[in-house]
Amino acid sequence: MRYLSLYQEGNSLLHKIDPITKLLFVIIAILVPIIINTLTMALAFFIISTLLVFVARAFKRTLPIISFSSLVIITVLFIQGLFYLKNQTPFFTLGPFVFYKEGLLYATGIAIRIFNIINAVAVLIFTTKPSDLIEALVKKGVSPKIGYVFSSVLQIIPQMMSIVDTILDAQKARGLETEGSFTKRAKAFIPLIGPAVLNSLISTKERAMALEVRGFNSKKKKTFLNEVPYNKYSNVLQVALIAILVFSIIWRIISW
Amino acid sequence: MVNLVVEHLKYRYPLGNELALEDISFEVKKGEFIGIIGENGSGKSTLCQAIVGLVPNFYKGAYGGKVLVKEIEVAQSDVSEISSYVGIVFQNPFTQITGSKLTVYEEVAFGLENLGIPREEMIKRIEESLKLLRLFEYRHFNPFELSGGQMQRLAIASVIAMKPDILVLDEPTSQLDPQGSEEVFQAIQDLAKNGMTIIIAEHKIEKIASYADKIILLHKGKLVDFDTPEKIFSREDIEEYGIVPPVYTRICKSLNVKNEAGFYPVTLEQVYYELVKVYG
Ligand SMILES: Nc1ncnc2c1ncn2[C@@H]1O[C@H](COP(=O)(O)OP(=O)(O)OP(=O)(O)O)[C@@H](O)[C@H]1O
Ligand SMILES: [Mg+2]
Repeated sequence: MRYLSLYQEGNSLLHKIDPITKLLFVIIAILVPIIINTLTMALAFFIISTLLVFVARAFKRTLPIISFSSLVIITVLFIQGLFYLKNQTPFFTLGPFVFYKEGLLYATGIAIRIFNIINAVAVLIFTTKPSDLIEALVKKGVSPKIGYVFSSVLQIIPQMMSIVDTILDAQKARGLETEGSFTKRAKAFIPLIGPAVLNSLISTKERAMALEVRGFNSKKKKTFLNEVPYNKYSNVLQVALIAILVFSIIWRIISW
Repeated sequence: MVNLVVEHLKYRYPLGNELALEDISFEVKKGEFIGIIGENGSGKSTLCQAIVGLVPNFYKGAYGGKVLVKEIEVAQSDVSEISSYVGIVFQNPFTQITGSKLTVYEEVAFGLENLGIPREEMIKRIEESLKLLRLFEYRHFNPFELSGGQMQRLAIASVIAMKPDILVLDEPTSQLDPQGSEEVFQAIQDLAKNGMTIIIAEHKIEKIASYADKIILLHKGKLVDFDTPEKIFSREDIEEYGIVPPVYTRICKSLNVKNEAGFYPVTLEQVYYELVKVYG
């Protein structure tokens, strides 16, 4: 079944940790290096999140994202290495270009921060089913309606794409050109928009009624079929994570 | 025991010029199987929606009279509250799948979670309804992987799990192929045998003839008749309401074969019974 998700089945330690803890980690891995804006802190979190990517056995899937963003990073290295305002100490030369230590260090700092964020997010999305994350958030008090919107979109978009595929196949079977140049494909696609949109408008009313009769607007306190089967240390982890955040804020205020 | 009372029900849609329902009154007893028939636009869907309170709580508009389900007046109650007394299944199986659940099992849980049913009770009800609708073996499937007939049975299971006393179905098989329709009718019949009150709007006249205890005949928003299939289909003026009686009835009419009460048979079994009496 097609479902918009990057989740990969697995049984790593991180698969067993509950979604909220992982989400909390992502937030902290992003915030703390901003609050305490030192290269050491950035490096520390970069090392932790990189280790977690390995623990999650998600390195292979993270690599393409890392390589793609490396292209950007290399440009930054070039520009800052050559032109950073505080450049003073030449580091090495490449033909006519002189790279400076200050600029390179600055760019490295940026690189480490970006890779840290990518790794932290990768740990979350590759080891967590989106539906589990959404349900966990609803259990924490996010409105069930918002939860419904996200979880249904994840399924309905692929569903609609497969309907479009079916119609395109049908058109192909009737000899309409649906492949080739952009204009050809656009021509095949445009006639689909009308029926597809109309169809979904009509079904929206019926879906709204169907949800209504299944208690979607019920004022009762919601219960959940799925229990949290995650490991018992997650509370400890969450408290620890929040403590780190609080300490870093205090540290920042004291050392101002 | 009476469990649905409709009294002088009147209704006009917000943008409608004419009454979609006009002075409708009838009573349904527990466990009865009621068919609603009538030509296109006669008000079948509107009546179904009024029984579950979608009219006038979802569609506003001008409303008069009363619908009482187990002595609760539906117009005065929340639709979600009513859902544990009376459930409804619509035409299109696709639009009744919530789309937010990844398995058939979880899909049935959707309504129960919203009503705040405790987890153990939820599991019990999910498994009961899936078994009743013969979907238990598909419980780990994604709802969108099911066939049309299975999907519609899932819609029914999801509603049944909320333990309504009455199940209303609005042309539940109109979008299904013959096999899918057959599956769904079979399932509805099973439910009826279990004592559930069934109210079904349906164009498939032979199905209604063989399953329904009584039929509501609607025309232009008015209740023309509420009686047994034999009486309804034996009406001389039936075709004026856009209804073509079952083929057995038409044959018996041309052969003038009537039952003891003086009405034409409506099912194969009844025809057989009458013919055996005549020819031995
Ligand atoms: N949303 C609406 N707004 C205004 N008028 C409506 C609306 N829905 C239905 N009607 C009108 O109410 C009347 C009854 O419609 P209803 O859908 O109940 O008929 P039906 O018997 O279910 O027909 P069908 O066999 O086509 O399903 C019709 O005249 C119809 O045009
Ligand atoms: Mg209708």
